[in-house]
Amino acid sequence: MAGIDAGGGGGGKRPVDHNIPLIPFIDFLLCLVAFLLVTAVWSQMARINADARVPGPPKDEPPEEQKKEKQLHVEMRGERKFQLVWKEGNTVVNTIDVDRKPVPIGEKGDITFPDLAKKINEEWTANGSHRAGSDKKFDQSVLHTDNSTQFSDVIAVIDAIYTPQRDFSFGGKTEKVPAFNVTFAVN
Amino acid sequence: MAEKPLSRFEQPIHQPGRRLLHHIPLRFVRRKVLGHGRKAANHEIPLIPFIDFLLCIVLFLLASFSATGELPIDKNVKLPSAENVMDMVEAPMVAITGSQILVDGVAAGNTRAIEEANRLQRIDELFNILKNKRELWKQINPGKEFPGVAVLQVDKRVPALVVKSVFQTAAFAGYPNISFMVGRLGKVE
Repeated sequence: MAGIDAGGGGGGKRPVDHNIPLIPFIDFLLCLVAFLLVTAVWSQMARINADARVPGPPKDEPPEEQKKEKQLHVEMRGERKFQLVWKEGNTVVNTIDVDRKPVPIGEKGDITFPDLAKKINEEWTANGSHRAGSDKKFDQSVLHTDNSTQFSDVIAVIDAIYTPQRDFSFGGKTEKVPAFNVTFAVN
Repeated sequence: MAEKPLSRFEQPIHQPGRRLLHHIPLRFVRRKVLGHGRKAANHEIPLIPFIDFLLCIVLFLLASFSATGELPIDKNVKLPSAENVMDMVEAPMVAITGSQILVDGVAAGNTRAIEEANRLQRIDELFNILKNKRELWKQINPGKEFPGVAVLQVDKRVPALVVKSVFQTAAFAGYPNISFMVGRLGKVE
């Protein structure tokens, strides 16, 4: 038996040595293993965020005047290329074309757009407004898609938009989060 | 006259050594279990490494333990995969499979009308169910800010028009923070 010999305990005193009963201990461990195996979750599911940008509930205070920020519009309606458009309000600041080269990944027929991801990363590094960890706001990206585009393509583009990552401090912890917030264009 | 030696049951002190299985009356069984000249049929599990092994398993399983349990995924939904993803959250699950829309497994409308009209439109059944869920949440959690998070479980072949309609309907029902459920891909460096 496994034990702890602390010495002493003589002279009619209560002994201070202790033994761990190994067999019940092993039984206990086996039960714990069985329980944890039964309740284990092996799925590899995750989520990818999108923001609907609807106004919140009305407040008594007058809303703060918001300055127009640059937004990255990702146009995926073309068959051969993507178009990245930086806009300030309705004013187009810059337009960049990126070839639409899907790269198959995994065994389930998924695709990625590494060229698009690389270009968006470069664009955010050059033009992103919200970089500091303490900044609670995020740069905004608007996705324009065709009505018939398959959802898998939409996710591949959103995944590319989320490639640039920045620090975000919340509750004393700092973690890496996507630099952009994504929303869909209505039209 | 020499004294008769004490039997093993009467001797208080024994010579140290193995005792287990030495007193089996059948010789061939004794030989078999003790392994005289042959491979012993008995085996001992080394307890300390065994306990170490069990403790390692317990620690690994505890680290990967999820209190939220397994997420229900519709069999007919084939999810796309992505690299830049976040961990799942507990929120109402809106599944789009074929032409059916389900909220937490309950039917909440059909996508045929949207596809036939070929334009973005609100799905009333889905809107009402989500709105009821939001009101129920507010009743259960008075004074707390509603997180407005819903998870969309969308088949990879569903057209963007349907996704955008469901997305917009959820936003109008008070769920502006939408997450799309995806498979997790390993990051390619």
